[in-house]
Amino acid sequence: MSTETLPRPRATGPHRGRPRGALDAPQRRFRRVVLAPAVLYLALLTLLPLVWVVAMSLFNYSPRREGAGIGGLGGDNPFVGLQNFQQLFDFSGQSQLAETFQTSVKVTLIFAFIVLPLNLLITLPLAVMIESVAQRLRPLLRTVFFMPVLTSAVAVAVIWQYVLNPQYGLANAVITKLTGATTVISWLNDPSLTVLGIPVALIAVTVAYLWMDIGYNLIIFIAALQGIPKSLTEAAVLDGANAYQRFRYVTLPLLKPTIMLTAVLTMISSFQAFDLFQVMTLGGPDNQSRVLSLDIYENAFRFQAMGWAAAESLVLLGIVLLITLIQSRMLRSKWTY
Amino acid sequence: MATIATTDTPRDAAITVVTPPQHKIPLGRVVLYLVLAVAGGVAALPFFWMIFGAFKTGAEIRQIPPSFLPQDWTLDNFRTILGDPELPLSTFYQNSLFVAVMNVVITLFTSSLMGYVFAKYVFRGRDILFWYLMALMMVPPSVLMIPNYLILSKLGLLNNLWGLIVTVAIDPFAILVMRQFIRSLPDEQIESARVDGASEFRIYRSVVLPQVKPALATLGLLTFMFNWNAYLWPLIVLTENEKRTIPVILTWYSTQHAAQLNLVMAASVLMVIPVLVFFLFTQRWIVTGLTLTGGK
Repeated sequence: MSTETLPRPRATGPHRGRPRGALDAPQRRFRRVVLAPAVLYLALLTLLPLVWVVAMSLFNYSPRREGAGIGGLGGDNPFVGLQNFQQLFDFSGQSQLAETFQTSVKVTLIFAFIVLPLNLLITLPLAVMIESVAQRLRPLLRTVFFMPVLTSAVAVAVIWQYVLNPQYGLANAVITKLTGATTVISWLNDPSLTVLGIPVALIAVTVAYLWMDIGYNLIIFIAALQGIPKSLTEAAVLDGANAYQRFRYVTLPLLKPTIMLTAVLTMISSFQAFDLFQVMTLGGPDNQSRVLSLDIYENAFRFQAMGWAAAESLVLLGIVLLITLIQSRMLRSKWTY
Repeated sequence: MATIATTDTPRDAAITVVTPPQHKIPLGRVVLYLVLAVAGGVAALPFFWMIFGAFKTGAEIRQIPPSFLPQDWTLDNFRTILGDPELPLSTFYQNSLFVAVMNVVITLFTSSLMGYVFAKYVFRGRDILFWYLMALMMVPPSVLMIPNYLILSKLGLLNNLWGLIVTVAIDPFAILVMRQFIRSLPDEQIESARVDGASEFRIYRSVVLPQVKPALATLGLLTFMFNWNAYLWPLIVLTENEKRTIPVILTWYSTQHAAQLNLVMAASVLMVIPVLVFFLFTQRWIVTGLTLTGGK
């Protein structure tokens, strides 16, 4: 998105010499009729909630208690100032809630930082490969990888629960076939299983998430690849570059802006991942796959600790804003080709 | 994103002609096709696992080691699901369809109207309002869901399908897309319609809308898909089964019948496949929409 200037008012024009874009009475009325309800709506259903969530984070608020004052903030739901935030970052281990929150931030970070590189490492070569096969085969291949994107996350979660089922699942059956030894791995429920210190349950959900998500970046990369002029790669062929060299020195630099943008979008959406975790593990075992969105949801709607959950959600907002900020900094440097 | 201007100079044409013919047996090609075949197979596998599971008997699905293809295909699971009085599928389809279609209609209307105003009108506060909308796109759903839930409860819209509609009536992303498209329409057209005495709404309807039909179609499909697949917000708003949408009811059913995976898979098939087929047929537009805008 770019900052663009307003349509430039012109003193002389073909139409009655009126500055283009300046408004007549009927236009003003039309604009009012369109914008007044929209502004009212935005105030009521976006600005009010934003203010409300900030206010709520300063109270020990639960909808279970009557409270007093506006929105039940006050009375039995007392004002606590920044206490919620202090507690969020209280690392003494005295507060169960804070510990769970900190765990969930850690899990979310691990998740996001596994998803990003794996996603790019899969989608980028895959896009190049799909684009280099016979024209007739491409739509089929694209569709195969894109189908999970079209499927609801809930269905993806349910399917993968069956794939990962310890007794009746496909994953263990395949491993049993390959190794010959009967394998009963409890992918989603065994807290003692870890790989490189990362809980297996978290890895399992990550795999399902990648399966669901790669098609999205894949089509974006394919579209970007199609935008690269053939003449460039052909010139490289003439210069004697092999397939890898063409990818490394021609395609990859040209894709850089797309890769950057995709990386940021992938990062932001993985920070907000909820559906798969809620259905597949519900954060378990032992909170090993409890991501931040899930913790917020559970605190707000299961335990009705909405003041606390509001404070947590503002931390999530802060993380997302931080990534966006870093992104805009990085994108500001220009790539030209 | 930068666009690349293709230069069709005679030199380029010459280069294409002299591309050296390949004499070697293309071993690289073989490996390439092999890798893609395996990757595609792995990607499709979970779908087949679901479909085959739906056709297995209760005894077969609990067999160890599990079979891949059903040994004797059965339709009993589907009969059980369709005959289950606790799971009136048509109700859930209606719920999901109602929410998704209403949201498509409302989103297309509000986004095209506001996109038009943002694209072709100059007024004070326009940029502030626009940037506010763009900033909203960055706010995670988890932030707004708590106060929005309380607002819905005050409005008496909890456990009501309208609760899923009123909260997303203005979609910043859709407005951005529509504005981009409408901005590219020539001002002269709009001006001359004005000179001809057309009202502003008339111009919107008869001059602007017909020219952005492809954008409307793409946006409509994306909105439909996101709403149809939505989980978190429906999960919060809808508390009774008969009000629930397909994704929420699928998780409910799969927890209720966790021990009968054949039934769970049959339910998944019935809830996933029809819409998936529809999306596959309209895939071209969905892909266009996602790549054009580079964001969800």
